[in-house]
Amino acid sequence: MDVRIIHFYPDLMSLYGSYANVLALKRYLERLDCDVTVESVLPGGGTDIAKGDFFCMGAGTERAARAAMEDFARYAQPLKAAAGDCAAMLFAGTAMDLIGKTVKEADGSAYEGLGLASFTTEHGKRRIVGDVYGHTDLYPEAVVGFMNKCGVVTGVETPLLTGLDLGFGNGKERGPEGFHWKNVFASQLTGPLLVKNPKLLETVAAAIYARRGKPLPVDRPLDRWAEQAYAVTEEQLRLRAQAK
Amino acid sequence: MRKLFAIIVCKLGHFVGKLVGKGSSMPGKFALKICPDILRRVELPRHIIAVTGSNGKTSTVEMIAAVLRADGKTVVYNEEGSNQIEGVTTLVLTHATLGGAVRADVLLIESDERYAARTFQFFHPTEFVITNLYRDQLTRNGHPEWVYDAILPALHPETKLILNADDPLSSCFARGREAVKWFGLDKCSISADAPTGAYHDGAYCPVCHAPMEYDYVHYNHIGAFRCTKCGHKKPAADYAVTAVDLEKAVVTIDGGVEIALAFRSIYNIYNILAAYSACRECGVSGDTAAAVLGNYLLKNGRMQTFRLGARHGTLLTSKHENSIAYDTNLRYIAASKRDCVVLVIVDAVSRKYFTSETSWLWDIDFDQLNVPHVKRVVLAGRYGNDLAERFSYTALENWSVETDIAAAAAALKSAGDEELYVVTCFSDRDKILSRVEKEG
Repeated sequence: MDVRIIHFYPDLMSLYGSYANVLALKRYLERLDCDVTVESVLPGGGTDIAKGDFFCMGAGTERAARAAMEDFARYAQPLKAAAGDCAAMLFAGTAMDLIGKTVKEADGSAYEGLGLASFTTEHGKRRIVGDVYGHTDLYPEAVVGFMNKCGVVTGVETPLLTGLDLGFGNGKERGPEGFHWKNVFASQLTGPLLVKNPKLLETVAAAIYARRGKPLPVDRPLDRWAEQAYAVTEEQLRLRAQAK
Repeated sequence: MRKLFAIIVCKLGHFVGKLVGKGSSMPGKFALKICPDILRRVELPRHIIAVTGSNGKTSTVEMIAAVLRADGKTVVYNEEGSNQIEGVTTLVLTHATLGGAVRADVLLIESDERYAARTFQFFHPTEFVITNLYRDQLTRNGHPEWVYDAILPALHPETKLILNADDPLSSCFARGREAVKWFGLDKCSISADAPTGAYHDGAYCPVCHAPMEYDYVHYNHIGAFRCTKCGHKKPAADYAVTAVDLEKAVVTIDGGVEIALAFRSIYNIYNILAAYSACRECGVSGDTAAAVLGNYLLKNGRMQTFRLGARHGTLLTSKHENSIAYDTNLRYIAASKRDCVVLVIVDAVSRKYFTSETSWLWDIDFDQLNVPHVKRVVLAGRYGNDLAERFSYTALENWSVETDIAAAAAALKSAGDEELYVVTCFSDRDKILSRVEKEG
């Protein structure tokens, strides 16, 4: 199976090792014998959304995110159409802000997001940082990650993480986090989410297969380092959450 | 009366703290409770030099102090490392008379970059050195622009800035100011044509976000940058390293002042240059500065040598969560010519706070170790599996995992005689140093 990954603004939106999500998905699919092409989209460049199987953007600074949005806005209609057609997408960190309705900056200014979802993000002057241990309806295993943001999100009705035992969610401590609709996965959790959560990687890969009308193969690759790393972090954060 | 009481409490607290080996920030904390604006009420020296930045603060401050003292000046500085307002208050008050006059020619302050504005709310430095600004402790600092915004209010209009001309972000502090001196490296033997590393923070202009271009770089995105749109570019340096000879371990400043390097690292060169620039701005001659900085051995213990079985070892302390610190030490290993084994340890991400965050590993360019003389890499510590996952995406194949640090050390001790480089952080280095024979 040929798979085309479209990676938006890899240099501009590159904080916290976000690019590793692309590496992890590419390798996972290649181990399933897919031919994977990664296309990097730069500001001022262009891409044919209709040809993509997976769309993603990583975290950037608040200024970088706003700069990215100036270019990203032109993809609003085709991306919304692709999302409605169950295309798989991952927006991590501040990239999640950009698929919402509006982003309000700490200085009081505001700009429009993609409008793929109806939530709004309001940036403040306080940095919200900390480990996160939460749960999703997509699979039984816990989701681990790290929150590093200054934005509070309101208006999400279908979060990616339905509850947190540890950490700050969209709008409050231990509240729901992220956004999930069809095969659009979005989270303000930063960094290589798909590396840290092997089960989420499998879920995203399954979404790509499903859009092609195929189930994920039964014999799937097992990345033992990622699994063992997840086990260590999951235990650390679970104990941390229980102690609180 | 409150001022006097605060000074006495601080001096007594510092005395007692030294007896029981406690930290240096608590006495200042008490003093600030008694008299919150005590730092406004004291009489400070004519020269107040502050140093902040992501990397090189401690080393630069130590070297500035050594040069100024060699020049006959009395210098007080926070050698104990407490670099927030409480530590600075302790420093100032313990060196003050009961009347509040600080007995020194120069007050030298290493300042935490995020809390500089708080530290300098009651007084301001005469010279402010900013070494650089890039990804460092992002779990605490957010990101470099967040830190930039935190430092900005700390910069008083009357303060002279001493800035890194090669850093696209921290050079922005000069915008709208006239009292700025620049230090930087000319194109030289260690320059590369394009930015290096796992990510490219110099890809876009920090002012207008248009693409940037580079004439040359010295490491990562530090070099001769220029924006293709707004004109933001590397300024001409007032103090420049004009030649670097790493074979002979010598740098030349301003075409004539030669300084021998005790440690052949690009970081060391920048720290020496920053210290040299600050001291020159305080009236020290180039010859005096060069005489002290030549072959200067830092006392902060960030590089230590040891023996482990038949191996000679070198600890290269690299701050976890600081990819450029790692990159610089990996570059040092890659540039060495002798066969070696590298031990990377990530056990506690921080010594100050809990986190399981390891995304910073993806910012490190471990592929630098893909050179013939690096025979093997051992990955150790609680997060050894995270390291392994990161290494599985490099071109390296000669790596293995031993999460138990004691077992990793024992295995390295029992077999082999290649040079051993240990790359790890303050939080983890004693876990290996306790198992080796340290050299003097």
